[in-house]
Amino acid sequence: MIGRELGQRDGYRVVELYIGPQHPASGHMRLVVYLDGDIIVRVDPDIGYVHRTMEKLSEIREYVRVISLIERMTIIDSCNITLPFVEAVEKLLGIEAPPRAKYLRTILCEINRISSHLYGLGIGGIFLNHSTMFMWGFGDREVFVHLASLLTGARLTHTYNIFGGVRRDLPQGFKDEFLKAKRYMLRKLKDYDKMFFNNPVIRGRLENVGVLPKDKAIAYGITGPNLRASGVRYDARLLGYAAYSELDFEPVVGKYGDGLERVWVRLREIEMSLDLIEQALKQLPDGPIFHERYAKMVPPAMKKWFEKGRVKLPGGYVRLRPRKGEIFSRGEMGHGEVTYYLVSDGGMMPYRLRIVTPSARNAIMFSILPPGNTLMDLPAIYGSMDYFPPEADR
Amino acid sequence: MVLVELAKILHVPVWALRGFLAPLVYPGLAVLLGTVLFLIWAERKMAARVQQRVGPYYVSPKLHGALQLIADGARFALQEIIVHIETDRLMFILGPILTFTFLTLPFTVLPGGPGIYGFRSDFSMVIVYALLTLSPITVILMGWASSNKFAMIGGGREALLTVSGEITLALAMLSVAAMYGTLDFVTAVEKQMHTGIIGLVSNPIAALLFFLAMLLLTDRVPFDIVLGEQEIVQGPYTEYSGVLYALTMAIDYVKLYALSLAFTLLFLGGWAPFTTPLLGAISVYIKSLIVMLFSVFLRAVYGRMKLDQAMNFFWARLFPLGFVALALGVFVHVIYA
Repeated sequence: MIGRELGQRDGYRVVELYIGPQHPASGHMRLVVYLDGDIIVRVDPDIGYVHRTMEKLSEIREYVRVISLIERMTIIDSCNITLPFVEAVEKLLGIEAPPRAKYLRTILCEINRISSHLYGLGIGGIFLNHSTMFMWGFGDREVFVHLASLLTGARLTHTYNIFGGVRRDLPQGFKDEFLKAKRYMLRKLKDYDKMFFNNPVIRGRLENVGVLPKDKAIAYGITGPNLRASGVRYDARLLGYAAYSELDFEPVVGKYGDGLERVWVRLREIEMSLDLIEQALKQLPDGPIFHERYAKMVPPAMKKWFEKGRVKLPGGYVRLRPRKGEIFSRGEMGHGEVTYYLVSDGGMMPYRLRIVTPSARNAIMFSILPPGNTLMDLPAIYGSMDYFPPEADR
Repeated sequence: MVLVELAKILHVPVWALRGFLAPLVYPGLAVLLGTVLFLIWAERKMAARVQQRVGPYYVSPKLHGALQLIADGARFALQEIIVHIETDRLMFILGPILTFTFLTLPFTVLPGGPGIYGFRSDFSMVIVYALLTLSPITVILMGWASSNKFAMIGGGREALLTVSGEITLALAMLSVAAMYGTLDFVTAVEKQMHTGIIGLVSNPIAALLFFLAMLLLTDRVPFDIVLGEQEIVQGPYTEYSGVLYALTMAIDYVKLYALSLAFTLLFLGGWAPFTTPLLGAISVYIKSLIVMLFSVFLRAVYGRMKLDQAMNFFWARLFPLGFVALALGVFVHVIYA
């Protein structure tokens, strides 16, 4: 049986191993692994199993409806992935969200980033068979999902950012809830360090495994925490979209770019995000949360909802017609940088919406990192990458 | 003695009754089955406690999900056993059954308390060791017979790890044998009771080696490399389903039970401080249960160690340490004498 596979392939005497799509640790994808003994000589990531034609579907939807479509690419990080799109359309519409709305967007983005990182850490834990990290990551993520649901009314698919503002104002008592969550999370982060990050077995699995040097990371276009772990100080938030230009932060940057450092960057970014939310809550300006051009289109009977901190969309809102033009926008998600290229022909629907998600850019790491490592390092590398197949496949 | 009277009532010789009861009731199959069911439940409950969740619950809420394993067992019993077309049919089906059988054989000679054993031999340690070393062979064969690459790699890993684990185990057992001057479990326990110092105190290095080797041989975290779910699905057991899968799941727990009993007898003073059969048996059982619970609890703390690091750990660190343990055993023996 094995003998059949022990042929020459690319000059190697190798075993061809199909990991996935039905495998405990493959995700919605397949990894074709070529093994020479226990050493990986080549990996071909076979992605596309959860391709949902997001780009094509967005061409037959009005702009507002595109928001709730594209957030399904990464429902664990749905604010971050819609924000660049919303800002792009806003630019074409020639409007800008009120400052308060920008701050609220930032707050939700950071909450989403934390829950995305916790999700990634949990998955990273179970890839190393550390079930406690898996359960802790997912359990503590619930705290931030709860915060998001306080703010938006939905656990995952918030559709919070809309053109010209956000859909809900900050609820009463949110600050207290957040401070409670922050205290809890900082305490738990110490536990994570003790149980997971400084665990000798885990360190042994991740240290010097899947090393991505700085030059290679830049050459292959890796993005997000994986790029920063390799020592590149790049974070799309530094461009200052939403309220990031008014907040004080310094991206977490690693040195060597091995698996351990990629995990470390995520752990430290959770701290940074907690800090950012606190800053944003402190500096939160008063004012409207919805652009007045659309607010005044709302019928008077519906105006009372605005006083209660909720936005009612006017009837004409679905038939928005951004001006003709092409626009490029980017934003930093939990997994990395997402970019949109929007072509508008002046109609009610996008003419073309090109989306490049961070996981799609990071998928190349499956090919460049594992060769030379052993088969056991493959889950370690996968886990440290925080790869999210539905996002990559769009 | 109850046993003698029972033998009189049944008109069978005492040795025959012993040889029947020890492997089938205690410490053998009946208690073993209950222990495995309890152990898996306790393992899941303990891990759940650490991980802020409830664990198995809904099958029997009043018993906190203790019947979950029975429900799972019923499900496995009713499931079709799929034997796919490329397998080596005979070996595929015989594999789990043979392995399980090999692993229940040590209970004929492992004493579960004072006077509770199938038969007494001067070489019982050697016999237990030899019988336990039979199982990896069938596991490797299972990996081969499955005709699956994951199973094949799992079988290879089993071979690799068994060698390194069993050497360490043998050294630990040898140092105990040298320490007490015997290869018999009963004599070893009696020596500990006689001197009043348990093996864990007189030779802690051997105890550590034995425990680590036990973790490796029974695929407990952090050494569950053979199962390696995230790389090789379920190792050599990947292709199994139904009752055969339940058997393969039980293999590691049976091994763990046998080795925990041996650990109790060699290092925790066996049935000390009791000398009557009933209390002695309870003492042995509870001690080995604690050992088992501790070894399954590690799953909540560690991840899976890397294969080469585990090999390095066993060959470069523990193997030399084994000779230290052996020297210490001889030294202690001289002091005792």
